[in-house]
Amino acid sequence: MKRILADVRAFGVQFMRSRVGAFFAIAFPIILILLFGAIFSGGGSTKVPIYVQDLSDSPMSYNFTAALNATTVLEVRTIPKGEEILTYIRDHSLNTALRIPADFQTKILANQSVNVTLYGDPTQSSYGIAYAAVNGAATQFNFEIARARPIVLPETQTIAARNLKFIDLFLPGVIGLTVLTSPLFGMTNVCAEYRTRKFFKFLATTRLSKGEWLASKVIWYSFLMLVSTAIMFAVERLVFGGVAVITPIAILLIIAGTFQFTSLGMILGMYVRDTETAAAVANAIGFPMMFLAGSFFPVDTMPPALQVVARVLPLTYVNEGLRATMVFGNDATALLYLGITMVIGVVLFIIPAKALSWKSK
Amino acid sequence: MAEVVIEVRGLTKHYPDAKAVDGIDFEVRAGEIFSLLGPNGAGKTTTVEILEGLRDPTGGEARVFGVDVRTGYAKIRDRVGVLPQDFEPFDRLKPREAVAYWAALFDRTLAKKDVEDVLERVGLTSRADAQSMTLSGGEKRRLGIALSLVGDPDLVFLDEPTTGLDPSARRDLWGLIRGLKAAGKTVVLTTHYLDEAEQLADDVAIMNKGKIVSHGTPEELISRHGGGTTIVLAGAGQDGAAVLAARGIPATVENGNVLVHVATPSEVRKMLATVAAVEIPVTEIYTKRATLEDVFMKVVGARMAEGELAA
Repeated sequence: MKRILADVRAFGVQFMRSRVGAFFAIAFPIILILLFGAIFSGGGSTKVPIYVQDLSDSPMSYNFTAALNATTVLEVRTIPKGEEILTYIRDHSLNTALRIPADFQTKILANQSVNVTLYGDPTQSSYGIAYAAVNGAATQFNFEIARARPIVLPETQTIAARNLKFIDLFLPGVIGLTVLTSPLFGMTNVCAEYRTRKFFKFLATTRLSKGEWLASKVIWYSFLMLVSTAIMFAVERLVFGGVAVITPIAILLIIAGTFQFTSLGMILGMYVRDTETAAAVANAIGFPMMFLAGSFFPVDTMPPALQVVARVLPLTYVNEGLRATMVFGNDATALLYLGITMVIGVVLFIIPAKALSWKSK
Repeated sequence: MAEVVIEVRGLTKHYPDAKAVDGIDFEVRAGEIFSLLGPNGAGKTTTVEILEGLRDPTGGEARVFGVDVRTGYAKIRDRVGVLPQDFEPFDRLKPREAVAYWAALFDRTLAKKDVEDVLERVGLTSRADAQSMTLSGGEKRRLGIALSLVGDPDLVFLDEPTTGLDPSARRDLWGLIRGLKAAGKTVVLTTHYLDEAEQLADDVAIMNKGKIVSHGTPEELISRHGGGTTIVLAGAGQDGAAVLAARGIPATVENGNVLVHVATPSEVRKMLATVAAVEIPVTEIYTKRATLEDVFMKVVGARMAEGELAA
């Protein structure tokens, strides 16, 4: 144990003196939290802007525009009547626009159908929101004109025990992201550097064993990730008033996740030629995992094929487990994912413990 | 006679495309500086790495403190200190921290004063709190030697400790290595610097292409492979050599100088008087003792480049 602690201390001192390492472990996650928190939790509008050209300019069209505004998801902006709408859309790079025809009121009063035209790019998510909102507003408008009342009405009830904010959903993903990047990128690089600079060979002349060296790296990165998590949690609470909680299972998941990504980094580091290649390999493995494993958005929102890919990525279980216990209080699911993470971690640890050789051939 | 610390018998290390070590035998006795000398690629580092337990041999026997290096190294790990070839310290550790860290890896706890003593011994006290990446090449090697000594080993392997250092730093390290011998340590020194081996070693094994081609004290090697003294007639050229030849004195010409080899020391004065009496235009006459360099020229056939062997 003395040798392990000595190695943890020496490694930690060097790590903290390397400003790049400290930046990515501590400062970068805070920046991410602040950045995403500001984007999604700040006072700015998250409504989809819709540009309306009201050629009718009538009480009926005013009411329709007001109904659009009342949906709470659209923010109505105006296109002047004299503009040619397609030219205006192109010149102003608009995603969605709506044209209310000049005979809007006349036809309604004559009890005739009238079309409002929605312009937009269906590949943009804002178009889908605008279409649903315009459709909803038109239906509501129709009911009122027909003096009918809807029979089936949706009723909403919040299922979260607390008043969740977006940042609460985002925090576990950023913690998972940090648990992935710092140990994975760090260890890939460390292993490559230790091999190319013959540090392994030098260490082999001491009483420190391979297993002890590996264990010391897991201990260091676990400590670092817990500190990093505490800082991110404090920022989330103090700056954005988040309500996510750090649970014992979350702490175990962070340690288990660190364990598996430290081990994965060692495996990659065993086979890369030098530190430059190490960075490229870690990026190639790490970056797709970041996006596919639900760090920034839930896995369920991805196309089915990518969801299958996500289910084989170890980070998915860290992210989903953290989200389950920190946000939804679903400890049963979190425990399951903790178990999966531990098993993957043990398998990944055994590989370098067996295959990593400090001896020359 | 001193205890045998290292015993090597028929040691081989073969790779599919090369025989790095090809059946070598030698012994190293306690308290001596043993030098493995040879050109790059001769098999020196492979040999010492086998003896350090860092590489498994293909065949033969290698024992350190009586223990088979293949199976029993854990028993003697504490008694062996190693400075690897091309040693580099951990960039961001300070020498003071590095010494304490390395000692802990041998399960030793060094008091602050002990750390100071180790650093003082290698002349690094003034740089104890500088990050290692800022140390000079010589200081880094000194730190490497300090780390090899923190376990207080009886046997120290120094693998090309002065390669790449300037002459002043090299001579400083020589003093340090002599200090190890004075402290009773056994030192195995690999080098490709001839003067280093000649200055430091009690026993020299010359390796080439995986084999030991000659072995003995520096004096024995010089004596065995020519020895003697050379009288140099500087600037005498081919004409001078012809004049000497006409008088029955064998001579060779090298770089415009005429060299007359005298095998036995008692003949030197007489021959010096003879050649000095011959009317040959010279700029200088001096004598030169045979060195390990001359031995190398014979047994390795290597060429010298500024004192460094190139195969």
